[in-house]
Amino acid sequence: MPIFIKITLFSLVCSLPAWELIWRLFNDDLGANPVEFLEHTTGDWTIYFLLLTLSISPIQKLLRPNWNKWLFSMHLVRRVLGLSAFVYALLHLATYMVFDMGLSLEDTVADIIERPFILIGMLAFLMLIPLAITSTAGWQRRLKQHWRTLHKAVYLITFLGILHYALLVKADLVQPLIYMMLFGILMLFRVKTK
Amino acid sequence: MKLTENHVTDQNLYLNRRQFVKGMTAAGLLGTPFLAEAFDFTKNKNYQPDLKLTDPEHALHYNNFYELGTSKEDPFRNADRLKTDNWQVVIEGECAKPQTFDMDDLLKIEQEERIYRFRCVEGWSMVVPWIGFPLSKLLKKVEPNSKAKYVEFVSIEDTKNLPGQRFRILDWPYREGLRMDEAMHPLTLMATGIYGEALPNQNGAPIRLVVPWKYGFKSSKSIVKIRLVEKQPLSSWMVATPSEYGFYSNVNPNVSHPRWSQAKERPLGSFFKKKTLMFNGYADEVAGLYKGMDLKKFF
Repeated sequence: MPIFIKITLFSLVCSLPAWELIWRLFNDDLGANPVEFLEHTTGDWTIYFLLLTLSISPIQKLLRPNWNKWLFSMHLVRRVLGLSAFVYALLHLATYMVFDMGLSLEDTVADIIERPFILIGMLAFLMLIPLAITSTAGWQRRLKQHWRTLHKAVYLITFLGILHYALLVKADLVQPLIYMMLFGILMLFRVKTK
Repeated sequence: MKLTENHVTDQNLYLNRRQFVKGMTAAGLLGTPFLAEAFDFTKNKNYQPDLKLTDPEHALHYNNFYELGTSKEDPFRNADRLKTDNWQVVIEGECAKPQTFDMDDLLKIEQEERIYRFRCVEGWSMVVPWIGFPLSKLLKKVEPNSKAKYVEFVSIEDTKNLPGQRFRILDWPYREGLRMDEAMHPLTLMATGIYGEALPNQNGAPIRLVVPWKYGFKSSKSIVKIRLVEKQPLSSWMVATPSEYGFYSNVNPNVSHPRWSQAKERPLGSFFKKKTLMFNGYADEVAGLYKGMDLKKFF
């Protein structure tokens, strides 16, 4: 199978949760609080894809799979996963901007000031933008060794993303704590092998 | 069975069905179990505002009831874990006649339907037809004495069956409280039904409190004990996060929750928000209770 078809198929798989949301949207099946449902689902998938992105190098270290045989190169797999995280973050932000803030910049600034978890989410998203832009091979060449340093920002972004979630919950911290634990485990691989 | 003109022309299908079931039961065509559940109620004309009711599909499936789990879908999913057989409500404390009431006693109090706004502290809201009776009617039966300054409500504790109580998410059993004048206010309702039916478990069966001008968590579900006390009681949410949840918790668009604004709310089923009203739209009735109080301080 030509590689571009494989990449397209893999990207389509990554986009399935988004298609499900669109399906539910048109079938009036988003539940009692449709906006909250959209926000929680896109937020969850952003974190899942960030964690998946971070699990590529541990998988490589532990299992040394033949990436090219199963899919395509490890770097490309990671790029699609990272870009998927960006797309879900963008959908998450767009839902918030349109339905919570009514596209009012003034309200958004007020909300950022009033609610620390919004500020943290915004910071995480802003940091994700340069990573999405420089994800291509061209940029990787141009930035040389700086590319690796820049893309290490994904560690901080993931942490901030999970913190953003943890600060929003009223009492039951179980889910954000599970995410934080997974993040911690994935980070341990990076510390240990230095 | 009394079937008045009002009932016949009533568009409330539930009610008609209920009458039908009662008729069938009386005629011996159905077993008796229905009798306990089928209670009569009348629409209280003073509380039928011209508001669009929330789709029951939403109000009955999107619930905060941490005893049955913390996600919004958990309470409906785990509803059968709440055991409501032989339910009793104990009323004790500062009163002349402390008593234990069976559900049958409580259902003998005249049941009326009232349409109320309901505003959750999280920023969503609904409009629901409750069935029940004013709490004041019940409290008068036990004759509160002069030391009864506050009322504490205690909800069910059943660590064995309730999945949410296996974890110390909140200080179980769930406790809430009202000042005596708030408890005796005509708007304060003990609800036994919703949308013309007995309360489903996920909405706080078999009996719950409804205080429409306060955030939803003040309206305790599945109440087993009511205590008349002299000192202001601590609620479970005050114990959990004292900086975020105060004793009064009146709906107030001008006082933000520490983590979010309360200026707007999203009606269930709706994509866009609308402005939140002072005291959830009941300012005319209840603002007098808080005259001279700094509502930012007493949040």
